[in-house]
Amino acid sequence: MRTSERGRGPVRLAGVGRRYGPRGPWVLRGVDLELPEGRLVRATGANGTGKSTLLRLVAGVDAPAEGRITGRPARTAYVPERFPAALPFTALAHLVHLGRLQGLRTGEARARAGEWLERFGAGAYAGTALAELSKGGAQKVAVAQALLAAPGLLVLDEAWTGLDEGARAELDRAVRERVAAGCTVLFVDHDPRRLAGEAGVTLRLEHGGVHGLPPRPGDGAGPDPAPRPAAPRPARVSAPAPAAVPVPASMRIVASGGRALPDVLPGGAARVSPADGGGVVFRVGGGDSDELLRLLLAASWHVHRVEPEPAPAPAREPA
Amino acid sequence: MTALLRYHSALFLRSQRWLAPLILYAALVVVGVRPGDPVAGSLGIAAAGLLPVSAWAVRICLTQEPEASRAVVAAAGGRSRAHLAALLTGAGWPVLAGAVAACAVTATGDLAGTGGPAALLAGVLATTACALTGGAVGALAARPFVRAPGLSVAALLLGSLGALVTTGSPAKHAVASLVGAEGAVRPPWAACAAAVLLAAVTAAVSRLAAARLE
Repeated sequence: MRTSERGRGPVRLAGVGRRYGPRGPWVLRGVDLELPEGRLVRATGANGTGKSTLLRLVAGVDAPAEGRITGRPARTAYVPERFPAALPFTALAHLVHLGRLQGLRTGEARARAGEWLERFGAGAYAGTALAELSKGGAQKVAVAQALLAAPGLLVLDEAWTGLDEGARAELDRAVRERVAAGCTVLFVDHDPRRLAGEAGVTLRLEHGGVHGLPPRPGDGAGPDPAPRPAAPRPARVSAPAPAAVPVPASMRIVASGGRALPDVLPGGAARVSPADGGGVVFRVGGGDSDELLRLLLAASWHVHRVEPEPAPAPAREPA
Repeated sequence: MTALLRYHSALFLRSQRWLAPLILYAALVVVGVRPGDPVAGSLGIAAAGLLPVSAWAVRICLTQEPEASRAVVAAAGGRSRAHLAALLTGAGWPVLAGAVAACAVTATGDLAGTGGPAALLAGVLATTACALTGGAVGALAARPFVRAPGLSVAALLLGSLGALVTTGSPAKHAVASLVGAEGAVRPPWAACAAAVLLAAVTAAVSRLAAARLE
């Protein structure tokens, strides 16, 4: 019953750039990327580096201002971070509409909508108006609409946010199923442990460009260096564009924990000082903050705060 | 495309946003048309009244979805096709309402020597010309061209008025061919064809602009 998407080839981005409005600053530029079928692709990067924009472009929600995106399969699904759908439908009716949009017949769409709502523990909400659903309930509908037609390309922009624990685990399972069936899954999540170690490709966004990275050895393996997978297949690496969007130059992360950390931290992060009220302050470049967080969480540290470094006071007078 | 049209129509109809434009149209027809009036003039007035209503309906269909749900639908059904479906839905329902009104006006008006079917044909053509011209006005007065709601409504009203009085507008020609008609009613084929062309060009520009501006 689930469609297999094998043999359709990768989704390709060639020289893709995006800006909002004809004279806006470039959010992304010169992105050359291949998203192979049957791969789980994670996009990482500091706030404002264009993760959501990349996801919207790949999903076809936004059109690129320059460049081309080809190979997007007929069944593409997208889950936004928030789905506050004030639409005049019940959850089930909305899912049936979305199923039909992806090429299902009405009966089939209704059956699968029921199945997926059940899987996410929202079967009781089938007849509830979308406007009356809680944030988590609405997010379950958003996730169900993306999965019910067995898409060949699934784009998840922090789709786990707002789901309860059971539904988050169910979404993890559903993503693994889709990848096994040949679907390309591109996702962003603030939790570095999300599907840790399973991403076949990790994209790092900075300064408006996208870099492909091999799977991280640290993913899911704790702080100890694990053997690097034998044949990592990186995404095609782009020529990074000149900085278009300011990335926070550096971030402060306040965390506490007992376990020892490696001597060398990602991006040359520095342990600055003990924070007020306990914990340790780390200072790290904006682009490496995700990596440091990943490491801290993998070492079972408790992260108290993540914030941009306050701009330094002018240190010297002009000569 | 069928699924997209069903989706947008369901959204339009279930949200009850259709109610206000329909009431406006009914009021215009009731005030402007008396049973027993010469049928050609009545059909022209009913068609003219549809123009602002159609512009309004198209604007509703373009703007009724929350951003998140528009994104989800764009991924599932295609961004540009979803935009086209919203335009077609917004113009399609007014055409239907206008056709019903044309039938009612023909049935109650004074035919005065004109054949009923000929009058109805002329009325439906004029109605379509006005609905599509109004649809073009609505498309140009809404996203992606005009975002601010106040400016959008002002553009909608002025645009609708302009489309009814400006020489060269298909709607003005269609209405004039009926309201000023003496003797036999001539079906406004050319005005209707021009309106179809205008609507098609506007829809294409709107789709392109949505890709560039949003």
